[in-house]
Amino acid sequence: MRDLFLSFSAEVTAFTTFELQGTGMADAYLAAAIGVVGDGPVQQLLAVWQGIRQEGADVEGRLRREIFGDELLGPIARNIVKMWYIGNWYQLPYAWSQTFGAHENDTTFAVSPAAYIEGLLWPAIGAHPPGAKAPGYDSWSGPPTIPEVPE
Amino acid sequence: MVFFPRDKMTRTSAEQVGEEIYDVVIVGGGVAGAIIAKQLSAAHKRVLVVESGMGKDVDLAGYESYVSRFYGTAMKDNQSPYPINRNSPMPRSTDARKITPGLPATDAYIVQNGPFGSDTTYTRVLGGTTMHWEAKTPRMVPDDFSMRNTFGVGENWPISYDEIEPDYREAEREMGVSADVEDQRYLGISFPDDYVYPMRKMPLSYLDQQVDQGIRGTSVQLGGQQFDLEVRSFPQARNGIPNPLYNGGKGYRPLGAVSTSQVEAGERCQGNNNCVPICPVQAKYYAGKTMAQALLGGDVKVLTQAVASRVVLDADGRVSHIEIKQYHDPILPDHTTATVRGRVFVLAANAIENPRLMLASGLAGSSGLMGRNLMDHAYLLCWGLMPQVCGTMRGTNCTGGIVALRNGSFRSQQAAFGIDIHNDGWGWSEGSPASDLLRLVDGQNKFGRSLRRELADSITRQLLLAFMIEVLPDPNNRVSVDPAYKDQLGNMRPVVTYNIPEYTMRGAAYARRFAQLVFQRLGVADYTHYDPGDYGYVTYEGAGYAIRGGNHLAGTHIMGSSPSTSVVDPDQRSWDHANLFLVGGGSMPSIGTANVTLTIAALCFRTARAIIADLA
Amino acid sequence: MSLEQITSKEELYEYLDVAMQLEHATIPPYLLALYTIHPGTNPDAAHIIRTVVVEEMLHLTLAANILNAVGGKPDLTTPHFVPTYPTFLPDGETDFEVDLQAFSPAAIETFLKIERPRQAPDEESRIVRRPGNKSFISRRLGDESLHFYSIGEFYEEIARGIKFLCERDGEQSLFTGDPALQVTPEYYYSGGGELHVVTGYESAKAATDLISGQGEGLGGDIYDKEHELAHYYRFDQLRLAQYYQPGDTPGNPSGPPLNVIWEASYPVQKNPRIAEYRDPDIHRAALAFNQSYADFLHTLTRAYNGQPQLLLDAVPQMFRLRDKMNQLIRVPLPDKPGTNAAPTFEVNELSREI
Repeated sequence: MRDLFLSFSAEVTAFTTFELQGTGMADAYLAAAIGVVGDGPVQQLLAVWQGIRQEGADVEGRLRREIFGDELLGPIARNIVKMWYIGNWYQLPYAWSQTFGAHENDTTFAVSPAAYIEGLLWPAIGAHPPGAKAPGYDSWSGPPTIPEVPE
Repeated sequence: MVFFPRDKMTRTSAEQVGEEIYDVVIVGGGVAGAIIAKQLSAAHKRVLVVESGMGKDVDLAGYESYVSRFYGTAMKDNQSPYPINRNSPMPRSTDARKITPGLPATDAYIVQNGPFGSDTTYTRVLGGTTMHWEAKTPRMVPDDFSMRNTFGVGENWPISYDEIEPDYREAEREMGVSADVEDQRYLGISFPDDYVYPMRKMPLSYLDQQVDQGIRGTSVQLGGQQFDLEVRSFPQARNGIPNPLYNGGKGYRPLGAVSTSQVEAGERCQGNNNCVPICPVQAKYYAGKTMAQALLGGDVKVLTQAVASRVVLDADGRVSHIEIKQYHDPILPDHTTATVRGRVFVLAANAIENPRLMLASGLAGSSGLMGRNLMDHAYLLCWGLMPQVCGTMRGTNCTGGIVALRNGSFRSQQAAFGIDIHNDGWGWSEGSPASDLLRLVDGQNKFGRSLRRELADSITRQLLLAFMIEVLPDPNNRVSVDPAYKDQLGNMRPVVTYNIPEYTMRGAAYARRFAQLVFQRLGVADYTHYDPGDYGYVTYEGAGYAIRGGNHLAGTHIMGSSPSTSVVDPDQRSWDHANLFLVGGGSMPSIGTANVTLTIAALCFRTARAIIADLA
Repeated sequence: MSLEQITSKEELYEYLDVAMQLEHATIPPYLLALYTIHPGTNPDAAHIIRTVVVEEMLHLTLAANILNAVGGKPDLTTPHFVPTYPTFLPDGETDFEVDLQAFSPAAIETFLKIERPRQAPDEESRIVRRPGNKSFISRRLGDESLHFYSIGEFYEEIARGIKFLCERDGEQSLFTGDPALQVTPEYYYSGGGELHVVTGYESAKAATDLISGQGEGLGGDIYDKEHELAHYYRFDQLRLAQYYQPGDTPGNPSGPPLNVIWEASYPVQKNPRIAEYRDPDIHRAALAFNQSYADFLHTLTRAYNGQPQLLLDAVPQMFRLRDKMNQLIRVPLPDKPGTNAAPTFEVNELSREI
């Protein structure tokens, strides 16, 4: 499950599994998703992903149609992307809760102090989270180094 | 490091405190109180500082608990690092509401009467609002001190720039300011020939440099004057590179972190881009650094968890004592009431809390000006996307800006402004970069490579110009109290009645046009929009603007040369009560276009001398 | 056997070169211990280790200043400047080896040995006979079992040598270095000790005193001249779970308790080798780290050779190294369950690997 979660996350964040593991947050995010919506929907999402990955064709289109465009899975998938990028779980849309049931833990929350620090948003823009991973005096006076997005 | 002697802090002995008569009782452990305490400490005076906060932040672990709370909070506003304290409540920018005329907003700590709904904040912990301040420390320009004489508007100060200049230098030493004199000598701001700042200027951000390249050599015309545009660095109270020429060649040793046990932190600024709401490494000055030094010498003590609730006079109109309520827990209302006595009293609780306390004590004053003339810089934000990648989101929050329009003959008609270039992009206006992520993921169905690419493209080009617009004193803008509104200790809460003066709005309207001109010169795609539903929405001459509060509170006990037109004298001494000083932004009869803290600090050096002379 | 080992400028150069190797050799193990601590946990330990690292950097810079002052040439890019861990310390203490390992009681025990109080029990024990590998000093003495008692004794010999050469040849003929090469306090300051510019005997003595004092205390006191707790006793606090305060004697801290959660650290490979990393991503990342580390040492070398302003660049470089290191430390080794990757600091292997 962890490996599937990592390979799905790598695909939808455009960071490598090495980079994702390098945040130390993989287990916490998987646990956060399960902790809010339960085991079932997360298993289902990863099972769909497993199928898409195994067949390997039209991955992006199938992700859109079968996961991001799925009424149940879409909001969860978007929340997984957001957790990786900024460390917060965002409360699911009202319509989702109406359809699939409200979950007690479904509020907007920071997964942990470390989650904020390890957000991928910052390396994606060649910066660092405000208040952490400081780049050092005068580093701001030169042009930014924005890592290439892998093809 | 700065050693903080924990044994000078008392938490539980209000009764014991009540038995002593101190030389000086200071209400408030922020920058004003700390500087006066330190100066009195050096003069061997017995001082009690009454602090409403918990005072749990005097060791590194306490300070870092603030940082960790900030990391772990989904909503990262100015107050997010500081725990809820119902006995020393704080206004929060998230409290701001659009005010319906006649229906004050009463839910939050400050009761807002309107018509303008402000999001201004201050922090009631030891160190005060310097915990979350941005630490920008420009001096006021000389004409700011003579508004009435020079421009026929506003009020004059009873002291001039030249009189306050030596105290500006004291303040720059105390707070450890990084700046170069060459960059700061403009619009009449002057320095002694051999002066250098304690540390060299903070380097301009790459974003600043890109803006400078686009506007340098261009100018604007206003009121028959030409103003040449360029980006200048701002002086900042944070550790940079010490200038070996400081203090006649003796140099300057930067102050590190504050703690009760030995720690090594608080060195040079690392570019955390988090001055507001908290510098994680204490490279930024905050009043705890001064307070710790005050406690090291002399006989200064701090009484924490103690909220001043009433100023009591004797038959001669002098203050005899102050009643305090000392609580035991930040959430529960249980408390002990006690009195603190001294020969001299200093209220250093800020421009809202000072008049609140006086008015709650029934001391409106002979001039009737207590609480009146409330000022706070009106901020207008203009934002867009630069044509090229500028590496936004790096640096300290703000390193440079455009200062040419801080003064000019146009001030007889409309407000001056200073412009900050925000290194944190659209953070203030739009909640970037979190808002960009949500917009792209939820709204634009981006994930994977296109998400990464669009984040980089849209965020690293963000430019936000924050216009800090001057506000003149208006007696109708005021702090008052109302027994209908109390906090859980039974202290009356501040009631704020505030309108943005037309003079300021004329400046705001020009600021918007000015931003458009700058954007045109830079090729910036303008994304500025002001929502009529916004709490700070103000219309002027048919157009609407969202105005933001500046947290630069001033003017509620203004200084003057006569008891009938002012509350305090040039030493910040109450005209009505000879042994009472009301210090801080409240004493300022104008705020010009300078962040207020440096001027507050400078005035407190002056006041400390007056108190020492009184006690001699 | 004469205790005065330094009798020429060339010998002094060699000692100072070893001093720089020595100061540097402690940095990778300290950094690895620091960054393996789980974020947000063990703040006391993290601050203690971080402070010591910052001061080791100060010592490195001080040693460079002394070397420059006497006309030598600091060089952090020579082969073997960076040791291969596990390693004996270059000053020749051979009763223990230094490992690259995670934050743990074992790591702290090693740190205590590195920083152990300098003073040999008596004059004759300053150089001791310890069977083991050849060291710098044993090579010099022509007897491979002879070593300095501690880092302090090693610096004592440098101070003695400087004094000897000053008295024999005159201060001016010893301090012939270009003053422009000195790194001044404006380019380096920390919360702790101050950087000394070295121009003559007095300032050189102050520099060596500061290095020994910060490490191991002064004349049996747990605090140094600037009233700072010596490194040895800072680490001792982690072992004893209590802070020292002024007035305390060694081994008997009486300050506030200090909580260490030893389990809150990433279980990284001890003394890792890049050749052992089979996973291509890990291998690539470890290699990139080593390259960046080599670049960092190159920057320092240039800073110590006339471009002190480059120390400003070295700080952001160091912060980038921190981020790369943190990344490696959190990645499990696929072929070693329960063990994570770690940076290897094998800068001498780079040419072979690339």
